[in-house]
Amino acid sequence: MILPLGFALGAGVLVGVSRSLNGRLSLATSPLTASLWNHVVGFAFLSAVAVIFGGLLPDGWPDAPLTAWAGGAVGVLFVASGSWLVARIGATMTALLVIAGQMISGVALDLAMGRAEGLWIKAAGVTLILSGMWLAQRRR
Amino acid sequence: MSNRLLPFALAFASGGLLSLMILFNGQWAANGTALFASWMAHGTGSIAALVFLAGLALTGRAHPRAVRTKAPRWAYLGGLSGAVTVMLSSTAVNSALALSGTLALGLVGQAGFSLLSDRFGWFGLPRRRIRVADLGALALILAGSGLIIFSERLAP
Repeated sequence: MILPLGFALGAGVLVGVSRSLNGRLSLATSPLTASLWNHVVGFAFLSAVAVIFGGLLPDGWPDAPLTAWAGGAVGVLFVASGSWLVARIGATMTALLVIAGQMISGVALDLAMGRAEGLWIKAAGVTLILSGMWLAQRRR
Repeated sequence: MSNRLLPFALAFASGGLLSLMILFNGQWAANGTALFASWMAHGTGSIAALVFLAGLALTGRAHPRAVRTKAPRWAYLGGLSGAVTVMLSSTAVNSALALSGTLALGLVGQAGFSLLSDRFGWFGLPRRRIRVADLGALALILAGSGLIIFSERLAP
């Protein structure tokens, strides 16, 4: 149980590390250029992993919905915006607001796809997040 | 919108992009593995980034190279960190933590890292003072996220 726990925590830490590294790179280039490097380096590394461990192309992968092809482009904009933000408002404020946006849009997506389980608990969560955002932007 | 609130709104919108990205990239994993999904996302993303940069260059709106300092070599490793994230979290998701536990712990890891990073100015970014209000905001947002992440388990 300790190992997966460390993995899950570590994954979160690495999200922050990645954003700081890209933010530092964007200071010398541009946020979009930093995002390009992020994707090229990640692709090279994952290709190497795939060559070593094999089994990259799963059967039936072309059956994925068309929107799957848009994920990469959305990710480019996400990384670029994070690089721009972390250099301006800092790591904590960026993380805090991105998490808020992710959670609230996630609830909206769930609703749009007709998943309404635990709706009242989600509404309470959204209220807490909105109050946190209000607190964060005061006197800035 | 005032200059003060622009980064604020952008960061919130960026979280929306993240939700869409996870939704779309997850569609590759439905037919394959997390490794395949991440590989596809990085590959198509590389092409998309080149197209965006070419578009900016063609319309003459390319960012002027704000070369204040040359970036250190390590600053190019953001993609490596991102790729390892996928491996760690896809392993954790398949443990007793499940998706909700993995998400929740990931947020805690991210929050802890960003506080220390601002406090000590890690990775060549400016050191920042952490206000009590920021900690309060962080606590509220993490608590709210926890409720949302576990809502389906908590629901009667």
